[in-house]
Amino acid sequence: MEDLKQKLKVQIIEALNLQDTRPEDIDDNAPLFGEGLGLDSIDSLELMVLLERNYQIKVEDPREGRKILQSVQSMAEFIQSKQPA
Amino acid sequence: MKGNCYIQGMAAISPQHTFDGDLLTQPMIVTQGNRLSCVEPDYRAFIAPNSLRRMTRVLKMGLAASLKCLQDGGIHVPGAIVTGTGKGSLQDTERFIKEIRDFEERALNPTPFIQSTYNAVNGLIALQQKCTQYNNTFVHRGFSFEHALLDSLLLLSEGTPNVLAGAFDEITPEHFFIKGRIGHWKRETISNDQLYAHVSPGTISGEGAAFFLLTNTPGEQTYAQIGGLQLLYKPTPAHLGTALSQFLAQRNMQPEDIDLILTGANADSNHLHYYQLLDSYPQRTQLPFKHLCGDYETAGAFALWLAATILKEQQIPKAWFPMVTHQPERLKNVLIYNHFFGEQHVFMLLHSKD
Amino acid sequence: MAERVFITGVGMITAIGDDVAGNLQSLRAQQSGLDYTRLLTTIYKDVLPVAEVKHTTAELSQMAGVSGQEGYTRTTLLGLIAMQEAIRHAGITALQDEQTGFINASTVGGMCDTENVYFDIADPEKDGDFVRFIDTLDCADCTQRIADAVGINGYITTISTACSSSANALMYGARLIKAGLARRVICGGTEALTRFTLNGFNSLKNIDKRPCMPFDKDRNGLNLGEGAAYLVLESESLVRERNAPVLAVFNGYANTNEAFHPTAPSPDGDGAYAAMKGAMEMGGCLPADIQYVNVHGTATLSNDVAEGMALQRLFGEQTPKFSSTKPFTGHALAAAGGIEAIYAVLAIQHQLIFPNLHFKEQMEELYITPETSLLEAYPVRHVLSNSFGFGGNNASLLLSKYEG
Repeated sequence: MEDLKQKLKVQIIEALNLQDTRPEDIDDNAPLFGEGLGLDSIDSLELMVLLERNYQIKVEDPREGRKILQSVQSMAEFIQSKQPA
Repeated sequence: MKGNCYIQGMAAISPQHTFDGDLLTQPMIVTQGNRLSCVEPDYRAFIAPNSLRRMTRVLKMGLAASLKCLQDGGIHVPGAIVTGTGKGSLQDTERFIKEIRDFEERALNPTPFIQSTYNAVNGLIALQQKCTQYNNTFVHRGFSFEHALLDSLLLLSEGTPNVLAGAFDEITPEHFFIKGRIGHWKRETISNDQLYAHVSPGTISGEGAAFFLLTNTPGEQTYAQIGGLQLLYKPTPAHLGTALSQFLAQRNMQPEDIDLILTGANADSNHLHYYQLLDSYPQRTQLPFKHLCGDYETAGAFALWLAATILKEQQIPKAWFPMVTHQPERLKNVLIYNHFFGEQHVFMLLHSKD
Repeated sequence: MAERVFITGVGMITAIGDDVAGNLQSLRAQQSGLDYTRLLTTIYKDVLPVAEVKHTTAELSQMAGVSGQEGYTRTTLLGLIAMQEAIRHAGITALQDEQTGFINASTVGGMCDTENVYFDIADPEKDGDFVRFIDTLDCADCTQRIADAVGINGYITTISTACSSSANALMYGARLIKAGLARRVICGGTEALTRFTLNGFNSLKNIDKRPCMPFDKDRNGLNLGEGAAYLVLESESLVRERNAPVLAVFNGYANTNEAFHPTAPSPDGDGAYAAMKGAMEMGGCLPADIQYVNVHGTATLSNDVAEGMALQRLFGEQTPKFSSTKPFTGHALAAAGGIEAIYAVLAIQHQLIFPNLHFKEQMEELYITPETSLLEAYPVRHVLSNSFGFGGNNASLLLSKYEG
């Protein structure tokens, strides 16, 4: 789980081109949108692309996406729940 | 159409040092090769990092030039935003079309699609300045900027106090190759300072972003007045000649009143003959400008920026025009004549403020 | 005082008809144009419904009378067919008799054809016939080919403000006339289905896999469409001179910006509200004067909330009949504003309100619901037509019955 979260942070920074952010700046539970990293709805679509391209997980409904993409923690939990144990 | 139009502020990003510093002391940038690229400023001075991270090149050029122009004109929220672009964001269009292929239409990133939309820059300016007023984008080759300007003149005559008008275009290596296939560029490789010595089929390519804050009353720092604009679509040479005479006559101008003519002559032997229209005007007053910016759909915006600079400074930048041996005795009225590969022809008339 | 601007001719082609009469017939028959594509090469061909014009590109070139001639993209052909009808319908036999302008609208130009050959065009190793498509990469190509085919001799340009493009083209044409720079301008837009736009909207998760359901609680996005529509605008003095019949008066318009987000409207519909209000004020109309609003109504989650809120703010409990005709035509992007402006003209001419197909359940956020039945003999004098696009671009047009 820790490895996954670390990997996710690196991938998020790269996908969203967060130039001045380092992985350790992102708190596992900090909200990614609004406050926190200050991401917006286009970023949320890009994060869904990230999930699809890197983890083969397709999020169809943007409303569902919003819940999954709350934080690095929620993203990691979602990815784990979708992967075969 | 009633009313006047004054340039109250402006900014340009171009293949020359036009964005900041003392323009008159800048050397000409000479590029070896037929593709001129812009000197780009540090965008972080204008655009927040969180916005900057997604933006591609022409979006940054367009947004930065527009914001600098508003700063220069001393207005935060303009009464309208009108732009022209021939090609929009090529980088984004190219990227999205490739992603569709590479990812076989699955899991596509929406950002290049959004930014490929021709009015993306307009939206960004409106968003950043919280401008909820009129907003429009023209995308018609050599009439893109010129219709943005005509729309602005209409808005001013309708009572809008000021308008932000501008243009932006970029050239990518891929698009340079594509347009080369239909003969837009010279086969021989030249440098821009030698452009006019190489009359042959095709020209050199360029790019740029230029914005103007236009007002209906003159102010302290007015650069110039726009006294006329005429657009002609695929005219015959004979029609062109009549049109220019009428254009000047309607504005009570004689040929000898024109102190300087900036021409779009670009050493392209396929379309050079149109400039014979100016043969009856004194040669000493005619200056071509495309060795500075290259050719592209909205090069007319660069010409307007250049003309307004010359009128405000009351001199022709020597380093940029080594062919000029004497400064004109008077710089009051400047005519611009430009066309885009023989199809869209434009006359623009500018007057000095006083 | 500026002259009034009249609409004297209309021409169109959409998924529900090859001409204006065909469109009217399908609207009355409540026949949607949505189906799966037969012509577009895409992995979504059996997944995402579209409103496709039911003719191959070769058939279109025959209909446009340019069969066998090179360089006409599907975008151009759709436009040319609509343009020819508009000129004919306005009773214009020779365009040369009066300087005639053409303000076109396009979102992706000839992409419908260039996207199939783009990688050949960009590949130095390849050479061939495809090189002739290079000119069609931009938005001006279709405009100029249409103009040259019919002999346009006045102002010519192309506007691209995403989904509001042709509404802005109409506005610009009217303003050229009012300023005295032209007496006749033909305005509208043309749009062909492309993989580029289909994947673009799909990447925004904005496309419904079902036929779209504007203003329905269960809506989940738009369906794309294609088509072209042009309206002939003429000054009052020219109309009198040539004794032309008037279809409707172009009474008001407004363009506003959301300044909120690159692709989404403000949830309260600030921009939509300001656009409708501006158009009404210009035409001297009060809310009670409006009988019908042809809404933008794309059926995306955010548009319908924003536009509905704007309607409620502007009209309150007395909201006039409103409907989205996008379940008929799909969202034809740059052509949408033109298509819907013609539907507004038809509503006025035939005293009709068109039904909002596929509506079942009221949205939670709104207390208003769209009209779901075809209403005949409905007294329509003033119609608002809305078109909203990316970049926060909002346009609203007011079309009114000609009463002398």
